Amino acid sequence: MIITLYINGKKESVECQPGEMLTEVLRRAGYVEVKKGCDTGNCGVCTVLLEGKPVLSCSYLAVRADGKHITTIQGAAKEAEEFAHFLTAEGADQCGFCAPGFALTVLAMKKEMPNPSEGEIRHYLAGNLCRCSGYEGQIRAIKKYLEADHA
Amino acid sequence: MEILEFASPRTLDEALHLVRDRHGTAIGGAAWLRMNTKIMPLGVDLSELGLDYIREAAPDSIEIGAMTTYRELETSPLLEARFGRLFSTTVSHIVGIQLRNIITVGGTLAGRYGFSDLNTTFCALGAKVIFYPGKSVDVASFIQDGEEGPFLIEKVLLPASAKASYQQVRITANDFPIINAAAAWTGSSWRIAVGSRPAASRLCKKAMVLLGNEPYPSDEKIEQAASAAAEELQFGSDIRASAEYRREILPALVRRALMEVRG
Repeated sequence: MIITLYINGKKESVECQPGEMLTEVLRRAGYVEVKKGCDTGNCGVCTVLLEGKPVLSCSYLAVRADGKHITTIQGAAKEAEEFAHFLTAEGADQCGFCAPGFALTVLAMKKEMPNPSEGEIRHYLAGNLCRCSGYEGQIRAIKKYLEADHA
Repeated sequence: MEILEFASPRTLDEALHLVRDRHGTAIGGAAWLRMNTKIMPLGVDLSELGLDYIREAAPDSIEIGAMTTYRELETSPLLEARFGRLFSTTVSHIVGIQLRNIITVGGTLAGRYGFSDLNTTFCALGAKVIFYPGKSVDVASFIQDGEEGPFLIEKVLLPASAKASYQQVRITANDFPIINAAAAWTGSSWRIAVGSRPAASRLCKKAMVLLGNEPYPSDEKIEQAASAAAEELQFGSDIRASAEYRREILPALVRRALMEVRG
């Protein structure tokens, strides 16, 4: 079946099977910045924004995204690059595999919670696992990123 | 999971027809579909039916649509105003916000999953599951006995004046619970439910009788009810914990839940 997706502001008509998950369809359409991680709904690597909300694309039926707006990390490149400066400054970029999903979740959090506490940050990011276990550096980076935004 | 045909009905009547007469499978959040190797001849998408709502309903009830996500439960001002942090406590340990933006109330109920946090809280609250076009069944009965024949879950009805507490133990924050428990004062009686035994949620009827209709039971009475809950239920062993361990730690959870509600 053919579905229409608005990916990073661009209208795309893509073919998918009824039982296919969004990760597969996005990657097949060339959006390979959407990473495949655990593929079991646990690690957060495949996160995209669907109508502005973070979802696991590995666990979201592609057909349900028909007509919806999807943002991958490429679609949020400017904000992601700003955030990346803070990540690298704290040595928290490490292997980078979790970074696309992680950065998108941080950007969603920033919109939803303008001034989160450290506890709220940790809670919001609980679904983004880092295989390098660089969590402390990530938390420092997020706090400095948000502080800079408020300055 | 392979879905051979996919339908997106626009009305509940159409959805019911597809489920009942064409043997379609209603699809909730669909987060677990990928883990299944079965072939689904007809998938019935419920996401276009306007079933994502949390609202007040007469008399003194709150209704939650079947397609409401866990994240919506967690952040609902109405649920927080009525039940405090109950729903946030119940669902906020589940994986991450990205998954909680997908998984739904109806999918959780229909699956009658053993590991469910939410079904335990629903059972304790005395929630009713409403099957379209209107049949109402106590959630605890549905979790225990299921429903004969094809069904379509429309919503859940909560008694808005009930007061409840949810408690759980997990090995790690985002894992399934080893065991969970919820207790509620409905205004006239106590209800206690235990889930993740690892089997599905059950009411602790003997413990509930022990507490009677006294809104402020003594510490001693609470202790007795907590022990009774552990004695009356069956527990199993799995990769997360043994039956003995589950039985041993349950009284502490029931005690905490009862004390939190009693105040």
